[in-house]
Amino acid sequence: MWYPEWPLRRPGAPQDEPGQAVGADGRVEAVNAVAYAAGVRRGMRRGEAEGICPLVTTVERDHSAEMVAFERVVAEIEALVPKVEVVEPGLVFVPVAGAVGYYGGEDPLVERIVKEIDRVAGDGYRIGLADGPFAAQHAAAGATSDTPVHIVEDDAAFLASLDISAIGREEVVATFRWLGITTLGELARLPGSAITSRFGSVGLDAHRLASGRDRLPNPRDLPVDLTVVERFSPPLEDLEQAAFVARAMASRLVEALASVGAAPFRIVVEAEAVDGTTRSRTWRSADPLDDRAIAERVRWQLRAWIEGVGAGIRGGLAALRIEPAELSGMGRQLSLGEDARAASETHRALAETQAIVGMDGLLQAHPQGGREPGERVAWHRWGETPVRLRDLEAPWPGRVPGPSPTLVPPDPQPFHVEWDGGMPVRVRLGSRWVTVRSWAGPWRRVGRWWRGEEPGDQYQIVTSAGAFLCEIREGQTWMVGIYD
Amino acid sequence: MLLGEPGLGMTRLGLVMLSGYTGGTVAYLDVRGWLSPVAAWEVGIEPDRLVIARCREAVRWGRAAAALLDGATAVLAEIPDGVKDAPIRKLAALARNRGTPLLLRPISRATPPGVAHLVLEAREVAWMGAGDGHGRIEQRKIRITASGKAMKGMTRTIEMEDDGSNALRVVSGVAATETRSAAG
Repeated sequence: MWYPEWPLRRPGAPQDEPGQAVGADGRVEAVNAVAYAAGVRRGMRRGEAEGICPLVTTVERDHSAEMVAFERVVAEIEALVPKVEVVEPGLVFVPVAGAVGYYGGEDPLVERIVKEIDRVAGDGYRIGLADGPFAAQHAAAGATSDTPVHIVEDDAAFLASLDISAIGREEVVATFRWLGITTLGELARLPGSAITSRFGSVGLDAHRLASGRDRLPNPRDLPVDLTVVERFSPPLEDLEQAAFVARAMASRLVEALASVGAAPFRIVVEAEAVDGTTRSRTWRSADPLDDRAIAERVRWQLRAWIEGVGAGIRGGLAALRIEPAELSGMGRQLSLGEDARAASETHRALAETQAIVGMDGLLQAHPQGGREPGERVAWHRWGETPVRLRDLEAPWPGRVPGPSPTLVPPDPQPFHVEWDGGMPVRVRLGSRWVTVRSWAGPWRRVGRWWRGEEPGDQYQIVTSAGAFLCEIREGQTWMVGIYD
Repeated sequence: MLLGEPGLGMTRLGLVMLSGYTGGTVAYLDVRGWLSPVAAWEVGIEPDRLVIARCREAVRWGRAAAALLDGATAVLAEIPDGVKDAPIRKLAALARNRGTPLLLRPISRATPPGVAHLVLEAREVAWMGAGDGHGRIEQRKIRITASGKAMKGMTRTIEMEDDGSNALRVVSGVAATETRSAAG
């Protein structure tokens, strides 16, 4: 059940004049009929829409306020059919398999729902009835204001007639078109393995949707009890407080799921009031929910309960539960360096490495000013904030020019060099002597005499086995770098 | 697999290969704690993208390398003395399985045969720029041999030039793209 114009149902939004709601990314997410007639479409950029229809009034989306109003509708539907899943304010999925039998068929059921939502929210709804949520949503999208109910008899046939852009992945849609695939049916007829090998997981997803197998890409059994629960004593009375806790809970949940390689598609939010009453609501998403998305949804839901119809949360919030309801193993399929979830996968792997090699074993480095190759590096432990000690831009006279040595032992190694008349002749590497081919230097290092450092001379010595940076200090020769 | 004594240029070659993998984090498993990140920045790896793990013990080395393979875009791992063949083979299999490029650089041990897709072994290095106490080292030419499965049983000699800041240039021999595909 979908109210496409829901974001525009609020004070301040125009009724008889063109209006649009834009999301945080600056794209149009809802259009009213007047603006639609003028050519504004969902998914356009704000500027583009305003170019087409200069008189359009733009409102920013406010999910939590929309949800407060929408809660009434959800509550009405839930009174008829249990286990309603909210996707966003205005869009709910209602699993009707059982209810169809109970109400004696699809038509009577739809009639009941229409009657109830018409009473609380009025016109503007679209209803699509199909086997899978993807087909249902597109059926609803295809319904018009004259015939707002679209009952799909055969999912596959319905999907086959849809335009390829319905899969919503711009990056592959263009390629599909170019390959002559214009409808979902044409895509579904191609072998899935061929699509996957050409387009990777995006292609696999698209093919799955096109063939009406959109329930779960990679279903997983629910691991025992990953539900996160937080009890509050004294009870929370403030929405912001609760939202803050929800954020921490959400990241705990996502982390726990990630450790078993799963990602949630559906979560159940449950709030317990002081007087013992419990309210719960299911939220679902087409993409796996990350911690931010979960925290957001919990916040919307709590606000809807507090400010919306019904009893509110009487006496304050005594406990909050977030339960993952539908998981997919997509956590394992991440390709690296692609998005935030991949970054969190990297983060997890690096944290594991750190546990193996120790806190001081996993490092990152940033440049800083200095003369010696070793001094020019500001090390810090991975995961900590870098500290920059010395000015990078300042001149550092006395620096050895040229490419830097790739290997710099933390403690200079003793190095045997044979000199003849002030010129290096040969050096010892392990057990053999190697002739010096050429050399450069010295670069004089005064040393921090106030700390008792002695002056030293640095030489670049080139042999047939490579080039070395060495330093002569207090009559001793040290190897301070290898140009490997 | 990158072979060659320190000084022959294989560390820099490894870093250049790492810098070719963009996006995400690249990891260097440093056995001695000798790697100078300055050299890595010079070949174009951004400081934020480079993570250096230090692990001396042969026992934990395999686990550390495996964990890095899980998270990094590409891994260059030095192999400490005392690591047996089995963990190396296991690691190579894991890298193939995950599709993560893995460059191995044994410190002094012999390498188990058949692990590497491409073996690059340093033969010779010549530095230019320094004289008898004047000038400074500027540019080098290294000669390496490439063998292994990627070379289809042939061994070819490649000569490369390197002036420190930019990538290596292949002077003669096989094309650069082939050296880039080293994995395992």
